[in-house]
Amino acid sequence: MSTFFANINELNEFDVFKRAGYRIVEGGEILVRVERIHLGYLFRTFVKGVIQDVVLFEFQRPAEIFVNNWQSWGPARVVGKDFPFSFPIELRKKFGYSASIMPEVYFDNLISDYFMGSDKFLIGALSSRIGHPYLLIDPETVKVKLNLFGRHFADWTEVEKFVVLKGEIDWLLPYYADLVAKENGVELKAKNFVGWSSWYQYFLDFDYQKMMADLDKSKCLGYQVFQIDDGWERDIGDWEPNEKFPALTRIASDIRSYGYVPGIWLAPFSVSETSSISKNHSDWLVKDENGNPKVAYQNWNKNIYALDTTNPEAKEWLRTLFLNLKDAGFGYFKIDFLFAGAIQGKRHDNCTPVEAYIQGLKIIREAVGDSFVLGCGAPLWPSIGFVDGMRIGADTAPFWDPNGPDIGYPNAYYALRNVFTRWFMNGVLWWNDPDCLLLRCEDTQLNDSQRQLYAFTSLLLDNILVQSDNLSYKIDHDLWKRIMTIRSYGKRMVNLKGLMDGQYEITSAGVDGVHKLLVKDLKIPTFRIELDEERVKLVKKIEKRSDGRTFNYYEEREKLE
Amino acid sequence: MLERRYNILTGEWVIVSAFTQQRPTNPTAECPLCVGGAEFSEPYDLCSFDNRFPSLRIDAPEVISDDELYAKERAQGKCEVVVYTIEHESAMSLMPVHQIEKLIKMWADRYLELSTLPFVKYVFIFENRGAQVGATLPHPHGQLYAFPFIPKRIEAKLTAQARYFDEHGNCALCDVVKREIRNGERIVYENESFIALVPFYARWPYEVHVYPKRHVSSIVELNNEERHLLSKTLKVVTMKYDLLFQQAFPYMMMLFQAPVNDIRYWHAFHFHIEFNPVKRDKDKIKWMASVETGTWAFINPKIPEEAARELRAVEVLK
Ligand SMILES: [Zn+2]
Ligand SMILES: [Zn+2]
Repeated sequence: MSTFFANINELNEFDVFKRAGYRIVEGGEILVRVERIHLGYLFRTFVKGVIQDVVLFEFQRPAEIFVNNWQSWGPARVVGKDFPFSFPIELRKKFGYSASIMPEVYFDNLISDYFMGSDKFLIGALSSRIGHPYLLIDPETVKVKLNLFGRHFADWTEVEKFVVLKGEIDWLLPYYADLVAKENGVELKAKNFVGWSSWYQYFLDFDYQKMMADLDKSKCLGYQVFQIDDGWERDIGDWEPNEKFPALTRIASDIRSYGYVPGIWLAPFSVSETSSISKNHSDWLVKDENGNPKVAYQNWNKNIYALDTTNPEAKEWLRTLFLNLKDAGFGYFKIDFLFAGAIQGKRHDNCTPVEAYIQGLKIIREAVGDSFVLGCGAPLWPSIGFVDGMRIGADTAPFWDPNGPDIGYPNAYYALRNVFTRWFMNGVLWWNDPDCLLLRCEDTQLNDSQRQLYAFTSLLLDNILVQSDNLSYKIDHDLWKRIMTIRSYGKRMVNLKGLMDGQYEITSAGVDGVHKLLVKDLKIPTFRIELDEERVKLVKKIEKRSDGRTFNYYEEREKLE
Repeated sequence: MLERRYNILTGEWVIVSAFTQQRPTNPTAECPLCVGGAEFSEPYDLCSFDNRFPSLRIDAPEVISDDELYAKERAQGKCEVVVYTIEHESAMSLMPVHQIEKLIKMWADRYLELSTLPFVKYVFIFENRGAQVGATLPHPHGQLYAFPFIPKRIEAKLTAQARYFDEHGNCALCDVVKREIRNGERIVYENESFIALVPFYARWPYEVHVYPKRHVSSIVELNNEERHLLSKTLKVVTMKYDLLFQQAFPYMMMLFQAPVNDIRYWHAFHFHIEFNPVKRDKDKIKWMASVETGTWAFINPKIPEEAARELRAVEVLK
């Protein structure tokens, strides 16, 4: 019997059970159970045997759909039926595994990883802990699929759950995100911080003198974290300071002396062909069919291999690496190019690439304890519960190019587009990192309105705020001051309307009132910010009494002045 | 002892907080909330502070239990005393609207701040006014509880409203607001953003609910103008109460906002305030007795539409 449903809105538990309930597939068996939940249905899937890439059910495709890429940098966007999917052929070899966990399917099909939406419904997986859940989309149908990569299940095992939800996409998305958070047991302990990063100013041309110069200029800017990015290490895989930097303990203590949490960048699942691991421990690397180390991607003009995060020695090395960084004094870890840990290939353990990736993340999380972990270039759903922050878009850049390729390449325009389209993950799954604010008025092609829109969007969506500028330059300090004033009121409750038509309307509620940001056309950009003026200004003072009790005083500001 | 215990017969959590017994039931000494009293040595405007005898604490003792029949957990949370003003001889009905506006802002900040504690699931803000509802201090103040679980009646509200949403595709209270504005007979007071009414389903005589006309799930989502209009609404309702029988009217005032650390109810849960007064007449009290306590079924001796007419007729200076 066909598992096809002509209309997803007429789906019901009886039909699904009858048509998709139990099936024998090549190598094993699948059982799908359906339960009614608020706003829709929950699909629970159980498997036994050797399971490859299976279709759970399929349905008729709506014309306009919201599709999502598996990874931090990848696009989350609305596409129509005429959407010309293209990924430059010359980049497939270089960045194929960045674009997809299944490049063999990705480049010839339209795929939405983890979830997809339309104006009136949303379908999505609640987790990616074992398999890779995705939607395979052609002009007429959508196939709901789960790739278990040929894993063997000796007994009946429950794998990824899906939900089908009916309603307005704009409020289904936050509802869905919360279901995902609950399924993964997320408890957000860390706060969304304000900080500085070296990358979008210096890129690889960064050194200790520059770090000290910016530290000196950073006083009173309100940073909590000061993070050095790529450029400090000897090689990708040799995570020791190069000749441009002193010892790590020195870097960390210098940063800490300014009152900031010292932050450091690294790509822990990436191993360059020139690194000592490649030379001495090729058995720690993910292999291809022929037993040769598999190239995960190319960058820094090198082939980059993937660390086998299931190899006991490699795991020990990974644990020690992070324990040492923490010991050196770092309290914030931006871990990048994480997709390398989830490429398909031969590993020590017989598990799916998703399970291997999670083993690696778990080690890092355990090693750094309560320190802030920011995921970047990361498979999104498998990272839930292990990271405090997550980059949710492409790298930003000192330019705005709506005509550039939408393939996760640096571009402030596409970076900000994802800040809107993935807004609902923030504060629920993790703190969204919209990528850095570039507030300098020189050495940049960004204009005032682009700068202002980026800053206010990040602020009003209550995201992480990180500046990346040479602080000796002329900086738009007025803009920074305005956003820091609103930030000082604390947590915000946010929602966004207009995802499907791209005319985003952010409503951002906080103690200071309800601010709005309305985007008419992101490409130019044309937008309006409506700040809700306070009728009463209260100053809050917190007093800790000797008996351990806290007193929160609220006093009208006029009286103080 | 401080812990919470699970009632397997009803699915409720009960907080065992043994030192609440030592609480002074009728303090004769001077007011602890006035300057120079037990809590404040300096003048202040508004303050929300940790209760001296909390039933929920951030650092609640660890509880170890693997008993299936008698489950218990840490009583982790927060209990705060929310002081509205330094003026001892005041009340919501006597305070300037401006002061109530500050109070609303403080409530919004408490709700947001407490929601950053991942173990907090529900922030309940309330006021007991008058000795008849157990208020031991006349100084204008309320309280708040930050619960580590969703209390039973909140759960009932969430379930009923989520079910309505599933069946009708929109929020139940949004529909109630539309109906009440059209109908008008239960409305006590109305402005651009709020209605105060005796609800169709009132459990208490003179019960009044305050509903925002726009769908919001918490006070945080109200803009500054709406917060101002809410202050006005609260002022008018409490003034009408006091003028009804020409006496300080005892009530329980409770804010019902969406759960925190859980945004699954934002679309279906509509923020509202309930005033549950215990007076059925000038000198008669309606008690929470066996039927109400044991079954949660209420017998309201007052026709809600009639109560609304009486309250509407009470003139207040605006
Ligand atoms: Zn007093
Ligand atoms: Zn509503």
